[in-house]
Amino acid sequence: MKRSIILWIVLLLVLGMLNGCSKKANSNKNTFTFATWAAGTELEEFQAVIDKVNEEAAGEYKINVLSIPSDYYVKISTKIAAKNSPDFFWLTQELISKYAKMGALADITEQFKKSNSLTPDMYYEGVLASAEYNGSYWGLPWIANPIIVFYNKTMFDALGIECPSATDDWTWEEFIDICRQISGKEYRGNKVYGTIIDGWPNIETFIWAGGGDIIAKDGETVILASEEAKKGMSYLQTIVEEGLSPRYAEVASLGDNNVWFEKQRVAMFFGGVQDNFETKIDKMDESEKFEIGYAPMPVCDDGSPWSFDWTASTVMAKSLEGNDLAYKALEAVTKAFFEWKIVPPVKGSLNNVIEINPKKEAAMETIAYIMDYARSANYIPEWSDINDKLWYNLYVSLLNDASFDYRSQMDEIQAYSQDLISKRKSK
Amino acid sequence: MKKRQRAGFYFILPWLIGLIVFTAFPMLAAAYISLTDWDIVGNAKFVGLDNFKYVFRSEDFIKSLWVTVRYAVLAVPLIIATSLTMAVMVSKNYKGMRIFRVIYYMPAIVSGVAVAIVFKWILDPSYGLINGVLAFFHIKGPDWLYDPNWVLPSYLIMAIWGAGGSLLTYLAALKDIPQDLYDAAMIDGANTWKKVKYITIPLMTPIIFYNLVLGIIAAFRKFTDAYVLGGAGKEGNFYMVYLYEEAFGHYRMGYATALAWILFVIILLLTILVNWTKKYWVYSE
Repeated sequence: MKRSIILWIVLLLVLGMLNGCSKKANSNKNTFTFATWAAGTELEEFQAVIDKVNEEAAGEYKINVLSIPSDYYVKISTKIAAKNSPDFFWLTQELISKYAKMGALADITEQFKKSNSLTPDMYYEGVLASAEYNGSYWGLPWIANPIIVFYNKTMFDALGIECPSATDDWTWEEFIDICRQISGKEYRGNKVYGTIIDGWPNIETFIWAGGGDIIAKDGETVILASEEAKKGMSYLQTIVEEGLSPRYAEVASLGDNNVWFEKQRVAMFFGGVQDNFETKIDKMDESEKFEIGYAPMPVCDDGSPWSFDWTASTVMAKSLEGNDLAYKALEAVTKAFFEWKIVPPVKGSLNNVIEINPKKEAAMETIAYIMDYARSANYIPEWSDINDKLWYNLYVSLLNDASFDYRSQMDEIQAYSQDLISKRKSK
Repeated sequence: MKKRQRAGFYFILPWLIGLIVFTAFPMLAAAYISLTDWDIVGNAKFVGLDNFKYVFRSEDFIKSLWVTVRYAVLAVPLIIATSLTMAVMVSKNYKGMRIFRVIYYMPAIVSGVAVAIVFKWILDPSYGLINGVLAFFHIKGPDWLYDPNWVLPSYLIMAIWGAGGSLLTYLAALKDIPQDLYDAAMIDGANTWKKVKYITIPLMTPIIFYNLVLGIIAAFRKFTDAYVLGGAGKEGNFYMVYLYEEAFGHYRMGYATALAWILFVIILLLTILVNWTKKYWVYSE
């Protein structure tokens, strides 16, 4: 018995030593793991990009792919907790500040600024801001997906409604007015709606519409209860109240919200420029096909144009902070992504969009226009808590009941959010 | 230790290691983590009982507990009643009864996510199966999961649909009831209801007790379909969904672990309570 216990102890010690050795070896490594949520065809494309980068590195470093197609953030956070973080991984903009504050990410500011091939000024300003927190950069954005308005030009023409311009500014009043002209009309045997709102587009769309915001630029002041933010929410209330969108409870009946647009049941759809309606329409029967038009987001009440942009960055594990070889690999792979995904978040690369997806040619005018105004929200580490309140207590409540007192709720969420920030600062 | 004893020890060693590494150690670690402020990365900061104090001040905790308790109080008896009734019905040896046994048991072998997706369609307010049938009778169906008042009934419908899961245990228990008792009762002039009341139900109480305990545990641990389907007004925010969101949505591992311990205590107390009532209603020879 004693002998077997000793054997087990020795075995555990040996395993522990081996683990220690492997950690030591990590500091000089030139092989990196890259975690991605890509799966299926996207993963194959991703692997091809990585293979190309590895080939160009000519043995200086090597990147291995780690695909995590489901429960991505659960697995990433668990790996980080187990001190087994992937060297590089994709991170959505909402989580940059949270992961940075947790100490999971390498601060790449210095390397980014002194780079010869990819510098901050090459990026669209609003897009790059998504990778910034506390005055530092925590990742390299590799994709931008700003929202534009896709509209059914065929339906507009059939109903005799003037189409919005591809680049000229239009206001929310004008947008809603068009919705009023369309909603309730019969088109192809169905009652149609002006647009569709079911939790998408995200709530920033409306808060910004009136010129308001959620968190001020200082990252510490919550400004959700401002009159501008409330004015923006009143546009959403109008859309719900007047039935300019299908009822919230009705949307899932056709599947996802985009299906309403594809089945020509709504005239205008807020979509990311990546949304591939063009390909879907190409595959439809001739009788189902329709022509898509593109327009920028309606401007804020103060006249300033904007578009909410979803961006993801590639981030580097904290353990690689200051590691120049790792940064070189990160930079190389990010630049390779610019030729793979639309929209590349760097200026002067819009030609890539047509090369990557020629079907987007008709949308290029709007895309080129909107990229200068694309921006994400000012995400702070408390965002997941604030977003919960915005979603359940404000957005969904208003979608379910147009008479919901959203103004008081915005006051309450502001107080709640400000309290969260104060607690963080006092820690 | 004798050679024979040593051999036995080696045989149970894999299980013992599994128990220590995968059960005992995580439980001890969880006990410690529940006393810390830990966001997954870096070192956990010891905060004593702060997490437990915060739990009872949290509106979301109260809400999720309320949603879960209401569900448990209604769903557990409903499931027991439904599955017991189904078991009595399919225990008869009529022709083709085997097919019904398979049909009733089938929900038990379907994945929770698949069930949730199917019910998303069944409960769809516009094109769902239930509202479609109601519309046939000119009745306007509710918005189900989109209406806070109808979220709980939606989950109860799903629970009843899956009640066949415990069918096998009831069927086995029914088969164990001696036929002599029914024969004697018949000679004494007992009708069907009296036979059920005085023979079937009393002799089924041990298995009802077993399913009651398991049902309470399952109700408090409800997760998969609630996570997939949710529900308006946070009415689908069951305790486990809340716990999961705290851990992996907000990265508050210390707080989430405290929630897990509270759930453990709730289930433990309820099990003790049910066990205590056993002497009043469970038949034992």
